[in-house]
Amino acid sequence: MAAREKYDEAVVVAQLHDPNQCKAAFGKVIEHYSSQLYWQIRRMVIDHDDANDVLQNTFLKAWTSIDNFRGDAKLSTWLYKIAINESITFVNKKKVMNQLSIDDDESFLVNQLESDEWFDGDEAQINLQKAIATLPDKQRLVFNMRYYDEMKYDEMSEILGTSEGALKASYHHAVKKIEQYLSEKG
Amino acid sequence: MKQEDTSFLTKYGKDPGFKVPENYFADFNKRMVDMLPDVEITPVDVKPTMWQRVRPLVYLAAMFAGVWCMLTVLKNVNNTDPYAVGAVAEKLTDDKSNVDEFIMSGSVSDYDIINYEDSVVMSNEEEVIEQND
Repeated sequence: MAAREKYDEAVVVAQLHDPNQCKAAFGKVIEHYSSQLYWQIRRMVIDHDDANDVLQNTFLKAWTSIDNFRGDAKLSTWLYKIAINESITFVNKKKVMNQLSIDDDESFLVNQLESDEWFDGDEAQINLQKAIATLPDKQRLVFNMRYYDEMKYDEMSEILGTSEGALKASYHHAVKKIEQYLSEKG
Repeated sequence: MKQEDTSFLTKYGKDPGFKVPENYFADFNKRMVDMLPDVEITPVDVKPTMWQRVRPLVYLAAMFAGVWCMLTVLKNVNNTDPYAVGAVAEKLTDDKSNVDEFIMSGSVSDYDIINYEDSVVMSNEEEVIEQND
């Protein structure tokens, strides 16, 4: 097995702007970020096949606009922004397809969980996903990033373009809503 | 982070129960690279910043400084002469300049001050009487 080359972001960003090396460099980007972006997307769209499609779109969009990336922001921040926008766009499209209003409860996304072959959670995990799905998009993102990824507020602030104070408040509200939902469901 | 999480969430844990097919990420990475269309890249000379250039040197210097500090401290600890320490302590205890005047003034009570003032007034009065005589 070939030894994996160490990922150096500064080197990769420089290679991305070299026409001779850009494709290989983007391959390194995909290899480095596919897993973390996938889980972020999966928690938003729930279904594995949907997450796979959104992840593909995320990398395609990043690749086709790579010329606009000048390295002013971190590559991870830029990719997360694209992934989040793609996820929210996908969820809204799915609501339209299901003839639901944008403000409707998003638990329709998790109702299919029990039949998803790529989900082996128990009843408690399904209930938690349903509770998370009732949150508005931004709160859901903040909750997922903080609770599952344990992301720092300053990193989240860069990605979401929101102040750290607002993010802390958002997480607090999300936790309270989930707690209330779960206590009501017994 | 731990302070924020309420106890009810510990019951659910951090695993959402999502799974992926075996070798999904390895297959995805390969498939994704093959799928990339040709795009026009404008060559840009991305020069490393000053910090990126000097960073290895700074880290190296910091490492040497740390080692030097550690060696200096260890050397001082090993070379401490117990007799020399005793001599310094003796000198300090004998040296009257080390007596803190502030601490000394703290031992003079209000009673002492009033007595002193009274004695000054008394002696002045005695002098006046003597002059009158």
